[in-house]
Amino acid sequence: MDWTLLGQQLANGLVNGMNYVLISTGLTLVFGVLRVINFAHGEFYMLGAFLTYYGMSMLGIGYLPSVILATIAVGGLGVAVNTLFFWPLRREHEFTILLSSLGMSLLVTHAAELGFGHDPKYLNSPFTDDIVEFGTIVVTQQRVLVFAAAVVVLGATYAAIKYTTFGKMMRATAQHAEGAALTGINIRFVHSFTFVLACGLAALAGSLVGPLAMIFPTVGSWAVLKGFIVVVLGGLGSVPGALVGGMALGIIEALAGSYISLGFMEAIGYAIIILVLLWRPQGLFGGAVR
Amino acid sequence: MRSLPLPGVAVFAAIAVLPFLTGSSYLHHVMVLWLLFALLALSLNVIIGYLGELSFGHAAFFGLGAYASAVLTLQTGAPVWLGLVFAGVLAGMAGFAIGYVSLRIVGPQFAILTLGFGSIIYTVTNYWVDLTRGPMGITNIPPLTLPIVGPLTEARGYFGVVLACVALFAYACHALMTSRTGRAFLAVRENAPLAASLGIDVFRTKLLGFVTATVVAGVAGGLYAHYLRVITPELMSLHYMAALIIMVVVGGRGTIIGPILGAAIYVVLLEVLRAFGPARLIVFAALLTLSVIFLPNGLVSLWPRLMAARDRRQARLVSPADAETSP
Repeated sequence: MDWTLLGQQLANGLVNGMNYVLISTGLTLVFGVLRVINFAHGEFYMLGAFLTYYGMSMLGIGYLPSVILATIAVGGLGVAVNTLFFWPLRREHEFTILLSSLGMSLLVTHAAELGFGHDPKYLNSPFTDDIVEFGTIVVTQQRVLVFAAAVVVLGATYAAIKYTTFGKMMRATAQHAEGAALTGINIRFVHSFTFVLACGLAALAGSLVGPLAMIFPTVGSWAVLKGFIVVVLGGLGSVPGALVGGMALGIIEALAGSYISLGFMEAIGYAIIILVLLWRPQGLFGGAVR
Repeated sequence: MRSLPLPGVAVFAAIAVLPFLTGSSYLHHVMVLWLLFALLALSLNVIIGYLGELSFGHAAFFGLGAYASAVLTLQTGAPVWLGLVFAGVLAGMAGFAIGYVSLRIVGPQFAILTLGFGSIIYTVTNYWVDLTRGPMGITNIPPLTLPIVGPLTEARGYFGVVLACVALFAYACHALMTSRTGRAFLAVRENAPLAASLGIDVFRTKLLGFVTATVVAGVAGGLYAHYLRVITPELMSLHYMAALIIMVVVGGRGTIIGPILGAAIYVVLLEVLRAFGPARLIVFAALLTLSVIFLPNGLVSLWPRLMAARDRRQARLVSPADAETSP
């Protein structure tokens, strides 16, 4: 057995997995707090990548400041999305919300195709050309950056949810929105802030992972699909579920891609998840089906 | 035999006349596309409207049927009708396997799971290049041949075939919904635990609906392949998955005329919006989003709403007299 190859694939899987965790944490938070499946979530990933690209090419700032700027901008967009879209619809049937978010996702994708052009763009990062060696395993600095930044940001997010007053408000809203409102929690504010977190995390993922591949306006549907698979695997609304599910998907895909077939890699990833769901329909960390 | 519903017969008679009103082969083509999507939307309606679950995998069964029929007829030289049967059987078998796994789960999880299954079928079709020629698609698919008429290469002839299929399936849906099984479907949709307590096998009822829907989607896929005679994996892409659901919901889920209307809106709107050039799909997505938000029960709910508004207006006209008597 080739241990270097295995280690290399595991390293790649961990980095891809971190990307999935960043995407799906936002998705699962929005579901947990608002009980909403947001189909447009992938578009924030796409916007994060493109805003980073345009921040660098039009404002002339470096890669890292551009990443931070894009993350903040898309996070701010989250407030607008909640105020204009999800808050007014909060009492509608879940199909209506799901389908209108799907409509919004198509709207943003097509607008982006018109605005940014169909052709894939290369997001330039100073870290893609240099490598870091761990023994015989070679990883680009960009991948290390993705992993490290994700660990820091996710750690801060988990800590905020667990230890701050605001985190308590979020968890209270997730448990029982009306009960939370009765204790004086401003539900609307909690919803808005949840969207800031969700959109910011997705945008950060897009701008960090962008340099590892080409970016194009339809990348959002790829991102949201991965996010969905992860949250269903981990359990909808569960934050630890998103972490374990994302990592598992990343590693499974990397191993399946290298040992079985690159083309069918994604199909194998889905297939394994379906097997898990046969065993635990509510997902690994999900509560009982309501 | 049940009596035929007269309004339905009238609607289909009116549709049957449509191709004779114009000589334009472009319009004929649009009409055939409409009916093909109407058949698909009707089949998806069994899942969304009658079972009350959202399936994102339906485009995959459509694509599966299209590929099954195209590959069989091209590789073995089998007649097209056999290809269509094969398309229905294969899609139904896939529907049984996928339904068996995923119908244990309900709500958003089910929607996402079907999205995952749909993506698997899409990915496999895209990469199994030896069989499907991958993203290049399959070309030169033989046209449907009828016993007396010969090969149907013209849109007007094909219109008749597809219309017959739509009418047959619409009647089947009507018959289903007036039967005991149909009432079991609705009971499961409205309250599954209550339905189970009345002795309805919820899982089997759902599986029956799901497999029926996928068989019809497969046949519709086969019809599509032998009509356009070119297919690519894009048939199963997210665009079509979303478009099918939108047809059912915009038209009116749980009704028979709704999905047919929704398919018409989808096909006609995309053609009319060509005037907008590249912004076409943006306008389309915006219109759909607005219609889902403001008409959650679809266009068919517009008519009762208008009638209610008229009644209110009339009530207001006579209200001065009532106002004095009421406290």
